[in-house]
Amino acid sequence: MGNIKRLIRGEMWYILFLLPGLCLFIFAVLVPLIMGARYSFTNWDGLSRTVHYNGWDNYVRAFSDSDLWIVLANTFKYAFIVTLLVNFIALLLALFLDSYVKFKNGFRAIFFLSGAISTVLSGFIWKYNYAIGFPSLFKMFGLDVNSPLGDPNYALFGLILIAVWQGIGAPMIIYIAGLQGVSGELVESAKIDGASTVQSFFHITLPLIAPSITINILLVLTGSLKVFDLVYVTTQGGPAFSTEVISTFIYKNSFANFQAGYGTALSIIFFLILVLVTIVQISIFRRREVEM
Amino acid sequence: MKKGQIAAFAIISVIALIFLFPFYVAVLMAFKTPKETFDSFYALPSSISFENFSLSWKASNYLSAITNSLIITAISTTLIVFVSALAGYSIARRNKPFYNFVFIVFLAGLVVPFQITMLPLYKMGKELSMLNSHWGIALIYGGFGVQMGVLFYAGFIRAISKEIEEAARIDGCSTPGIFIRIIIPLLKPVTATVIVLNALYIWNDFLLPLLYLQDKFYRTIPLQQYFFFGQYSSDLNLAFAYAVMGIIPVVGFFLLMQKYIIKGIAAGAIKG
Repeated sequence: MGNIKRLIRGEMWYILFLLPGLCLFIFAVLVPLIMGARYSFTNWDGLSRTVHYNGWDNYVRAFSDSDLWIVLANTFKYAFIVTLLVNFIALLLALFLDSYVKFKNGFRAIFFLSGAISTVLSGFIWKYNYAIGFPSLFKMFGLDVNSPLGDPNYALFGLILIAVWQGIGAPMIIYIAGLQGVSGELVESAKIDGASTVQSFFHITLPLIAPSITINILLVLTGSLKVFDLVYVTTQGGPAFSTEVISTFIYKNSFANFQAGYGTALSIIFFLILVLVTIVQISIFRRREVEM
Repeated sequence: MKKGQIAAFAIISVIALIFLFPFYVAVLMAFKTPKETFDSFYALPSSISFENFSLSWKASNYLSAITNSLIITAISTTLIVFVSALAGYSIARRNKPFYNFVFIVFLAGLVVPFQITMLPLYKMGKELSMLNSHWGIALIYGGFGVQMGVLFYAGFIRAISKEIEEAARIDGCSTPGIFIRIIIPLLKPVTATVIVLNALYIWNDFLLPLLYLQDKFYRTIPLQQYFFFGQYSSDLNLAFAYAVMGIIPVVGFFLLMQKYIIKGIAAGAIKG
């Protein structure tokens, strides 16, 4: 008996320490997740007190909803291009900043600054740069340009440019940290053996920073698949549905169109897509990483 | 080698200028009058006048938005630090299946997109009268932030040697005593990281305030910016003055806390 008492007393504090965090998590994530999964099997409108279960209807409807396929195509196009551009530019800048460059900290701050302001602000600033700033700049060179955000063919690319401008900072810092872990001796000895700068980059540096590449691609890809703010504050999904992404589509269905049941079913599908993307990506990259 | 350095410096300067260009336009617009903007978009203003700033200050109720943002960010980050440090300590020091399971549940929660929980959270908020209050939204941020927070604290505490704690325990010190006297003083670096990363995220967050703070007296900075830009879309100089006013506190915070933000992002990547 005494042993059990001592065990409870010993364990009690650890359980008590865990409780506040666990309760908050259950309250803000777990309970809403379960409620959301439940709503996805109903035709709830988001307002009424009564809820009717309709089985898999929402899911069946989603797969035959042609809008959903357009939205998914937009989302993936946006996310893939943003991920590629952000990682390419961030790695390039990190390579420059890792080598000897004056005012290293100043440059790092400049490239991070655009990521520190809210998306509402950057969306606003860019919207008017596109609408007035760039056209009047290009006019000086005799070129006539309009805002890409008003043209269904270019609107998504207009958003991608803003996302790249805002998203470089954090991946760049992760790449710099990764590059600092690459030993200079290894690169030096490859050079003595006759490897060119390009060769030593592709055969030594790049494999060694593979963990940073994995985490950066994962973070940027899942982050841009979830994009909401940027679309909501600039184009609202338009023109002509060309920038409607999954998050804004879910938001509109859930709140504006009073189809909460359908909206949550869409969000569950989106969740499964995210999990799938994460698993595929980790399994591809883990195989390529080098253990040091 | 010297040539290569100059070339690298030149390239990076050009990219930096491109990155700063939108900020330059924002500041330029904030100081010009509508007539000057119409005459020439890129010409410098004829005189430095803060009239746009004082007008947008008056029109926007900026002070109330910044107070709301400060209160919500402060309560939320305090909450996150407090509960994550406690839970992180338990998980780090109790290597038992139950604690490891809770840890994995916290991590798995990070994958859940906000889009699923958004509508239930709104409904819960409405029923529990959490809408239009500082504490209501702070509780939700607390639940979001604790997942990443526990990851940081558990990782940090695991790296601290157990010997001092064991010695203190033999001397009769209780678990809370050990936590307060030995662990807390060691947590400064990781706490700085957790605070800056969460503060930056909460300060700039848009969607949760859009759902939770619909009463205009509770609007945070990004929310007020959104409505202000919508309302003053025809008076661009005023709107840009307001945008510059929104940039200043964030840039100030960033420059002050730069060291911790950069360290935190790099550390987060290694743990992920």
